[in-house]
Amino acid sequence: MIEIFGISKTYVSGRGKMTALENISFTVARGKLFVIAGKSGSGKTTLLNCIGGLEKPDCGRIACAGTDLSTLSAAGVSHFQRKHVGFVFQFGNLISFLTVNENLSFPLELNGISGSARERRVQELLDSIGLSNIGEALPHELSGGETQRVAFARAIAHSPSILLVDEPTASLDTINGRQLIHLMHQLTSDQGCTLVVATHDPEVIEMAADRLHLKDGRKEEIK
Amino acid sequence: MMRFDFLCKIGFLFIWRSWRSTLALAIMVFSAVTALVFLSALAVGTNDAMIRNSVGLFSGHITAEDLSQNLGRDELNVDGVDGVLIREKRSIWLSHHDEMITAVLLGVNPSDERRHTALWKKTVRGRYLELGEPALYVSQAVATKLNVSVGDLVQIGFKPGSTVAEWVVCGIYQTGISYLDNGLAFCPMEVFPASNFGRSASVFLADGTDCDRILATYRELRSTSEFRAWTDFMPDLKQLIDLNFVSMGIVMVLVFGIVSIGISCAFVIFILKNLREHGIMKSMGILPLEAVLLLVTQVAVLTLGASIAGDVAGALAVSGFARIGIDLTAFTSHNQYFVVSGIIYPRLTFYSLFWPPVLAMVFGLLAAVWPSVFVIRKKAADILRAI
Repeated sequence: MIEIFGISKTYVSGRGKMTALENISFTVARGKLFVIAGKSGSGKTTLLNCIGGLEKPDCGRIACAGTDLSTLSAAGVSHFQRKHVGFVFQFGNLISFLTVNENLSFPLELNGISGSARERRVQELLDSIGLSNIGEALPHELSGGETQRVAFARAIAHSPSILLVDEPTASLDTINGRQLIHLMHQLTSDQGCTLVVATHDPEVIEMAADRLHLKDGRKEEIK
Repeated sequence: MMRFDFLCKIGFLFIWRSWRSTLALAIMVFSAVTALVFLSALAVGTNDAMIRNSVGLFSGHITAEDLSQNLGRDELNVDGVDGVLIREKRSIWLSHHDEMITAVLLGVNPSDERRHTALWKKTVRGRYLELGEPALYVSQAVATKLNVSVGDLVQIGFKPGSTVAEWVVCGIYQTGISYLDNGLAFCPMEVFPASNFGRSASVFLADGTDCDRILATYRELRSTSEFRAWTDFMPDLKQLIDLNFVSMGIVMVLVFGIVSIGISCAFVIFILKNLREHGIMKSMGILPLEAVLLLVTQVAVLTLGASIAGDVAGALAVSGFARIGIDLTAFTSHNQYFVVSGIIYPRLTFYSLFWPPVLAMVFGLLAAVWPSVFVIRKKAADILRAI
């Protein structure tokens, strides 16, 4: 369950004060797919970052998986992220000097899963994304679709309660993008994981029953 | 908290798979450690040469004055001692025609002296003493005062006007060292004109023998003789050697201070280049302490590897030059501490092998502070937004 109450976020840059989010509130039920839609620069990524604890809103409150993020220290946020949150970034963002196996092992090790249990889980993840034989490949040896699938596998490796996905199909062709979304939906619903996707892809937006449209940081429509 | 072995593995993979940057940083540490191992071994070798030249000319590492008659060469020849030279000593009058001076006559064993000391190499005219030969070996200053040359006869007496012997001058020497060049004359022990008058001993130690240990052993002999180490009768040399070590220590700290600034800057560039990876790890919930440990592991692995390689390379260079020596005669010919030889043999010690890598590690870890603070302070969202 994710509860957002009146959060706002403003950046100050060389171009002056810029409002990224303004008084946003919504609730996502546990295990549901929720889409944050909007054009580039509408505040989607900032909202995802706030939910995942990567950024602090200027005001308002975010409660995820029963935890009020505003009450946590920096170390507390890190503990929350490693246990409850999985991130899938626009370009995969795999750790470039680690192989696929090592990338998948990383969140498991952070959560104290090591040895044979870790190896079993890594193989299970690779099988589930249909890439059983690429464990020893380095990220630069993967195609765009493979990279996104591995990034998704890494994000769900430790069975988080919230999966935050930023523009998952932006760097993929239509077929690969559709396959990835279906895979995400299928695997996260099996785990009871809340899936929040930020996108401007109409196909992905249509897949979600619950969605929020953002425009210039403001809530345009919530369905 | 992440398991330490996994953290080390990640740190190692980070530097292993960024091998070009790693190599550039490693070369910097490697060359600094190699240079410092060699320089410190050279400093030790220079100190050795100064001691060897100073004590090897005549005095030995330990001297014993007023040696009791019951204390012989065998009692002094303990483990670690390379040679013991017993000498008879007496004040005498030397005269030649109208010239007369006082001097100290030393009765020596010429063959032993040749084996352990280098005074005979400082002969400027004539030759050194032969066993049992009634002859004198005098300094240039004594010869000038007496107005004698090689082959001239000199009268020896215990008081002015008396003559107990008349010997020929077989050789004249000059060392450049004041106490040896003024008022000394030598003759073979067998013809020394006074027995049991004053015995002294010079003890020469084997390489690497602890002088204090031998002194302690001698003091347990319950002799009335006074034993003194070279550090007592040559305090100027002792200070010079201490100064050399202090200078070397300062050089090491300065070199690694500069190298650590270089490493720190290079590491910041290295981390900026790989900032994306740190941002990703932070987004996955890596703790600030784990991020610091990861960086420290990288610096430690890199510095340790480069230091060990530098230590080995330095040791190889030292062992090469330790055999042939480095001839610095042109720069030492007028220096009293290099009066016998100006050849320096670099020598590895625990100090020269141990301190350069330790300093490299300490400064390397200090160099990790800046990048660590940088990574901790930078927010994951800012890093990821900048990608």
